[in-house]
Amino acid sequence: MSAMALRVAFEWLGACSGCEISFLNMGERLLDLLTGTFEIVHAPLLMDNKYCDAEGHKTPLPHADVGFVSGSLNNVEHLEILREMRSKCKVLVALGSCATHGGIPALMNGGDMHQGWREIFQTSSTDPGSEVPNREVPAPLDRVYACDEKAAIDLLLPGCPPNPQLIEEVVDSIVEERNPVLPEKSVCDTCPVQRKGKGEVKVIKRALVDADFHSDEPIERMRCLLEQGFLCLGPVTLAGCAKNEVPRCIHARVPCRGCYGPVRRGGNQLLDMMNAMASNGMDYKSVVDRRSILRFSGAHGRLRPSRKR
Amino acid sequence: MNNEPKIIAFCCNWCSYAAADLAGSSRLKYPHNVRIIRVMCSGMVHPEHVVESLSKGADGVMILGCHLGECHYINGNRTALARSEMILELLEDFGFEEERFSISWLSATEPEKFVDAVNEMMERIQELAGSGISANSSHGGQ
Repeated sequence: MSAMALRVAFEWLGACSGCEISFLNMGERLLDLLTGTFEIVHAPLLMDNKYCDAEGHKTPLPHADVGFVSGSLNNVEHLEILREMRSKCKVLVALGSCATHGGIPALMNGGDMHQGWREIFQTSSTDPGSEVPNREVPAPLDRVYACDEKAAIDLLLPGCPPNPQLIEEVVDSIVEERNPVLPEKSVCDTCPVQRKGKGEVKVIKRALVDADFHSDEPIERMRCLLEQGFLCLGPVTLAGCAKNEVPRCIHARVPCRGCYGPVRRGGNQLLDMMNAMASNGMDYKSVVDRRSILRFSGAHGRLRPSRKR
Repeated sequence: MNNEPKIIAFCCNWCSYAAADLAGSSRLKYPHNVRIIRVMCSGMVHPEHVVESLSKGADGVMILGCHLGECHYINGNRTALARSEMILELLEDFGFEEERFSISWLSATEPEKFVDAVNEMMERIQELAGSGISANSSHGGQ
């Protein structure tokens, strides 16, 4: 196997390392990968690979068969690393919702970026003359981008974090040179809770109220959380999080937060959810801070500063 | 290149498209920069169609349906009405002025109403342009 080893590069941009931890959660299969299939040539999480030599000249990244990139593009360094990865990897996989849809960092897109930078870099206690950096710390981009906005990505695997089973499927598909089989339905389509029909709920409850369920009963006996009046993003969110056939948040008896991004690539979770509510006679105005429905998919120009009047 | 405003009008097959058709064959004058898209019912125009049109460079979007109570599909235009209130509210979330969207009702025999609706939309867009605001001025496109 080692003669056929797959040269793999990992890289993280605006990321939290959750996607890498999800990789580790693959279980015993990971041992096979690490001892036989993978030859890791670059991974800042595991090994210190310099991007510059002592004199400040850039050192190129090694060539790889597969590259996994997690995280969003927040600054010029991220952009440079992503482009370098693209040029060195035969197959480039965007891992996790930050890389595919902007993720949590892209929440920044919904506010005034310049004000945000000022608040970060120029507080009342900083020395005079401090400004938004562009040398020692990489300069921020004009907004937060998903990886596929700035480079050609071969495979997009959303999730916060991505399901280890799906990571395994992606790795297998690359090894076997076939297309991966990834979920295409919504969270609702894969959810086993009881649905008795819509129309009763008019106003959305806040998550401060407990859902109605009995913890000793199986999840199949619980009433759909959306039908109970909670803002569950299941209808507008891509499936894939399920463990033992139950979407994870629903399994914990809390509403779906929407972390896999829109069901259809290019969909808009906020619009879709509001549309579903308006067409079913629910009061969409009862949703508090509705723009946070785009909390995982704010890149691609979806989350924008709201227009001030 | 071309700075003329573009307006997308989603017209339902049964009333408003027929009205637009009649406006043409009656040789009524209306702004040439309205792009008419025929849909089966105003109730099938998803809010994404509206936001995507604006994101990709349209200056205004209109939905034109049958008079309330006269929908060919019984209550499709009521769905469109419920959605339109939501669209107006959400447009600001996406950084567009609410003037860029309108919904109106006309029957197949009211070509003048079609012309009036388009003219009114055009005036609204030109007023916005006069105030120096253009759609997609920031965070535009995809």
